[in-house]
Amino acid sequence: MSDSPQDGTEEGPERLYVITSGRSSASNGLDLVTLIVARTVPTAGMQPEHAAILSLCQAPLSVAEISAHIGLPVSVVSVLISDLLDEQQVLTRPPVPPADLPDLSLIEKVIHGLQKL
Amino acid sequence: MVQEKSPSGLPSVAVYAWLIPVVAAVTVAGLVEPSVFAAAVWIGVTAVGAVAGAAGVAVGRHRQVAQLREESRGQSAALARQQEATARLADSLVPEMLTRLRLDEAPEEVLNWLTARWSGSYSGLPSEFQQAHWAMLRTVMDAVAAEEGLRDSAQRALVNLARRMQAIVHQQARELREMEDRHGQDPAVFGDLLRIDHNTALTGRLADSIAVLGGARPGRQWNRPVPLYSVLRGAMSRIVGYERVELSTSTECAVVGPAVEPLIHALAELLDNATRYSPPHTKVHLTAAEVQSGVAVEIEDGGVGMSEQARRLAERRLEQAQQGIDLGDLGETPRLGLAVVGRLTQAFGLQVSLRTSAYGGVRVVLVVPQQLITSAAEASGVAHGIGTFSGPRAASQPGQVVSRQTAKPPAARRLDEAPQVVERTANGLPQRRRRERVAEAQAPAANARPAEGTQRPPGEWLTAFKTGLSAEGTSGGDDAAAPRGEQ
Repeated sequence: MSDSPQDGTEEGPERLYVITSGRSSASNGLDLVTLIVARTVPTAGMQPEHAAILSLCQAPLSVAEISAHIGLPVSVVSVLISDLLDEQQVLTRPPVPPADLPDLSLIEKVIHGLQKL
Repeated sequence: MVQEKSPSGLPSVAVYAWLIPVVAAVTVAGLVEPSVFAAAVWIGVTAVGAVAGAAGVAVGRHRQVAQLREESRGQSAALARQQEATARLADSLVPEMLTRLRLDEAPEEVLNWLTARWSGSYSGLPSEFQQAHWAMLRTVMDAVAAEEGLRDSAQRALVNLARRMQAIVHQQARELREMEDRHGQDPAVFGDLLRIDHNTALTGRLADSIAVLGGARPGRQWNRPVPLYSVLRGAMSRIVGYERVELSTSTECAVVGPAVEPLIHALAELLDNATRYSPPHTKVHLTAAEVQSGVAVEIEDGGVGMSEQARRLAERRLEQAQQGIDLGDLGETPRLGLAVVGRLTQAFGLQVSLRTSAYGGVRVVLVVPQQLITSAAEASGVAHGIGTFSGPRAASQPGQVVSRQTAKPPAARRLDEAPQVVERTANGLPQRRRRERVAEAQAPAANARPAEGTQRPPGEWLTAFKTGLSAEGTSGGDDAAAPRGEQ
């Protein structure tokens, strides 16, 4: 409902609860770093937000990135993505687990070893 | 005149009639004795005198009657003129004066006009009569002007109050949107914010309705066209049962700025009626289609429908509202919906019709005329900000921001953006793009506050690390600076 003259764009008349049909959280466990990949391309008659997510996610993107791109809060994006998941239009991939990292001391040892060469 | 002759003939006969007994008496006198003769003469003289007296009185009365008739003729002519003047007063002067006053003409102007009309109509009438009429006109005029002034000030006060409420509601909505962005990651808080947001929108609609009833515009002004899809969802935003509204349209047109708010408001009132007067488990279908005369928006509910009588009543209410809303007619529990819709449709040339739906409910068709419709390409009102970047990113990517802002793609055409995003990754693995994005993202972090690099989404730091490792040997510069900032 705001005029935001500073960036030349104005928000639309619709509120977020209409975009999510009143839901505030997704039932499935999406988090900020879950990667989303589209399985289909947007079709006509789709809700614009769904279409935008599908076209953004032709390559994998995290939920946080999608949220930043389309300018909607993460909860809204999660709800929208879970809609798409239910319709099997997107796939989720778990984020790269941090535990896969080699031990920091090991890396330091390798670096030192390399520098000594 | 014919009537006049016969009474005037009677006395002339009476004047000569008294000669008959005189002649008879003289004739008889010659024949009878002198004593009798004297008595007869005396009687005759007396009779003649009596008859002459009676005739004199009769003549006097006759003159009097004629004079009275003359007077009465003059009076009835004057009465006819006065009647005529009174009829003119009632038939033309007063109604015309009221019309002028209702059209917001100043009382002084009406008075001038009245004086001009006056001199022609009242010539030759007694001044008391003229004064009485003039006094009556002035009284009526003062009363009506006072009433109009009262209504005007009531409406102005109403609009003023509505505007103040709107300002508060808009401010609250703006802040709520900021809070929604801020707390978007916490579903519980976010859910609560959405509920508050919804109630704020309902309050805003009520304030808009009050402004419309006060004869003003519903609310905020939109500078640019807004896609019809956003307008329809904007209308849904303002009703209680928005979850029950099923929106399906593939129309890509947009609504010109000045008509956006009235259209949203009218549609919100119609949707509110549709959801309110249909069973809670039924859906309300909202569709829009382009037609020859513009865009037809249809609202169809699964309620019990309206009887023909109820439909006529509703249409009459709409028509009445189109002619102007009298605040006094609203009653103690005002049903604002149709009054507001009627007022808005009249002011903005929208057409609304009520029919029985195929589902058995009510089907409302609202036709938006062609001149209020524009192509979606001109609509830059990015409803929900899809495709726009958040602040910090925009600052770090001036080139891209400019290209996006100049393109200003509407929400419905967001598909065009896909190539832009994918292009960067088109000839390589997705990771290539991520590396690029990480490097971009860290630029401000490295420049402004390197210590806060940890605020980046957690999934990215590993990539940044890998990027740094792979870039370390090949180049210095920004790419190399990035991982250092990260570590």
